[in-house]
Amino acid sequence: MNTMKMKVVLAIVCGSLAFAASARTVKMQVNGMVCAFCAQGIEKRLRSMASTQDVYVSLKDKVVAVALKDGQDIPDAALVSSMKEAGYDVTSVQRVDASLADIRKARGK
Amino acid sequence: MAKAIRSAACLLAIAAGTQACAKPIAFQDGWTAMAEAGTNTMRQAQLFYAPKFWWSGGVSYTKLMADDGSFQREISGVQVNYLVKRWNLPSAQGNVFAWGGVASARGFDSRGPFDGVAATQAGFQADYETRSVYASGKQEWFHSSRFSHGVSTVQLGLAPYEHDYDELATWFVLQLRHYQGGIAPGTTEAIPMLRLFKGNFWIEAGADRKGRAQVMVMMNF
Repeated sequence: MNTMKMKVVLAIVCGSLAFAASARTVKMQVNGMVCAFCAQGIEKRLRSMASTQDVYVSLKDKVVAVALKDGQDIPDAALVSSMKEAGYDVTSVQRVDASLADIRKARGK
Repeated sequence: MAKAIRSAACLLAIAAGTQACAKPIAFQDGWTAMAEAGTNTMRQAQLFYAPKFWWSGGVSYTKLMADDGSFQREISGVQVNYLVKRWNLPSAQGNVFAWGGVASARGFDSRGPFDGVAATQAGFQADYETRSVYASGKQEWFHSSRFSHGVSTVQLGLAPYEHDYDELATWFVLQLRHYQGGIAPGTTEAIPMLRLFKGNFWIEAGADRKGRAQVMVMMNF
């Protein structure tokens, strides 16, 4: 009986950890990003949003990825609008389970 | 006639600048500080704040010196910059900027020293950039009752590798510059330069055939 309880508790703990680790990420393909100097504006703008946990920009892949804080969200339209106001054009928006570290690791592949 | 055309161009650029606005514009809610020492003939320092990505405003100081030392102008004023058009392409970006402003000038020439002379400054720039090729053309005008000068600058750049956001960017740049208004009559400077930037700091430096240095530093924050 005790063994059974232990297994259930372990399953809950592991499940919770897995959920926390898979933070939701929004991945955008962006046109016009050719200069690291200029991409600063994108990062600064997205980091200022309350639901943003972290931001990753890759000029090589033309990608801007935003990791969202747990339980929070930013609508696609708000992200596209924010990028437009930063001076860039978003061509697609995807919701992915990959972390920013995973996206960074896959850069250029 | 030529003077009238230059004056009209200045006024047009100023009008465009005050209608909307633009570069050097790094990004919305960002500051850009620049300083340039151009061989023996030009010094420039500028500080701009951009409320939007398409316009900025701030202060500008430009010193123009005749190559033979016969005159000098120091032009200090306010300037508004406007992004006229931007093309965001999958692997490139193109921009057209215009700017204008009013200033106070001092200096000396064959008529003697002067100070507190009202002046106008205006210009435009068109650029195209990928992560490995860069080209820009810029025209600046400075006008007052004591002088009328123009500075035409073309830059062509090649990157030996395609940098990413977190990497050092390296560019080999050739700058061609021609002055109008007697600053360096009959000459066009050709200056090979090395440009480096990472994070929010940018520096480019080179020298002309006479060994005179051309340096520009820029910081965004």
